[in-house]
Amino acid sequence: MSDYNLSRLNFLIVDDNKHMLALVKGILHALGVKNVLEAVDGADAFKELRHFPADVIISDWNMSPLDGMDFVRMVRTGSDSPNPFVPIIMLTGYTEMNRVTEARDSGVHEFLAKPISAKKLYGRIKSIIEHPRSFVRVGLYFGPDRRRKANPNYNGSERRKEGSDKMVPLPGSQAAEAAAAAAAAPEPAATPAPADDGGEEGAMSQDDINALLDM
Amino acid sequence: MSDKTKGAANAKAEFITPPKTLQNKVDKGGPGAVDLDALAKAEAVIDNLAGDYLDWVSEDFIRLEVAFVTLKSGEEDDKKNIDAMFSIVHDMKGQGGSFGFPLMTQICDLLSGILENGESFGGREHRAMRVYIDAMRVVITHKLKGDGGKEGSQLLMGLQLMRQKG
Repeated sequence: MSDYNLSRLNFLIVDDNKHMLALVKGILHALGVKNVLEAVDGADAFKELRHFPADVIISDWNMSPLDGMDFVRMVRTGSDSPNPFVPIIMLTGYTEMNRVTEARDSGVHEFLAKPISAKKLYGRIKSIIEHPRSFVRVGLYFGPDRRRKANPNYNGSERRKEGSDKMVPLPGSQAAEAAAAAAAAPEPAATPAPADDGGEEGAMSQDDINALLDM
Repeated sequence: MSDKTKGAANAKAEFITPPKTLQNKVDKGGPGAVDLDALAKAEAVIDNLAGDYLDWVSEDFIRLEVAFVTLKSGEEDDKKNIDAMFSIVHDMKGQGGSFGFPLMTQICDLLSGILENGESFGGREHRAMRVYIDAMRVVITHKLKGDGGKEGSQLLMGLQLMRQKG
């Protein structure tokens, strides 16, 4: 087996837990990555992004003061975002379906459930390399195309038409302006939320998460 | 929905091809490429840190105990201490399985279920939290790695029974 050479890639790791930072950094170095920058929360990471040309971001979710999800939204839709297209892997202990879909709908590329392993992390990096995705701007959403696979037989509801995106726009962003314009427009007929966005609890395995995101 | 309508809906989406910055910086194969050896080294990083984990988790238990005692005392805002406990337990949940203690992840998941979105708790919840925290300590002090064998399965079964009884 010989795979990708990651030595020229810049990784930004965002986690408020110094042990997880050390662990992820150690794994990346063992995989041949040379340039890794650490940040301790979303605000710190956003600041670092202004001068660090990250090729991949690996971010925790549960952090304060600015958590991983707000950070993703800032990167994707912030008017001052240095790199709205940067691939983001959400590495988190949250494994419930509603969390996975929330992360997807905020614009993450990959969702990696803790506990972490080197094989699992490399698998997500490899997926980003091998399956580059177009970005989509629709409704309040801006991020990688959430339809990873074309399904000609799909018969369900159309998220893009129904404007059911739940992304919270940042003040001053294009999405916020779009939301303001939408709010000023006549109220559309109510539409039910897509079934696949249901807030089911229950932890999911990494395989289940991958299957969900591949749908 | 007709195909025509679907097409009109999709037309509203703007598709953008991002720059291939990452793909242009990655080669396949050759010296330095990820291979089985590199993956084994990366897994060894986790194993090497596993010894330190037992020290880290001791610190986590101290922080957790302080937050729990303060919560039970009712002297401070409950929400603040519940959030503090959740944050610590959430980290412990992620680390346990990473360092060979998946039972920690499972028990932390049960405790997180009580703490997440909690506003205020009474004696019943406090007693349940105490049991979960003690069970987490057992996993570490008895070094119950993997599924913890017979002791691990008995521990987990007991906790699940407690949870079912409410």
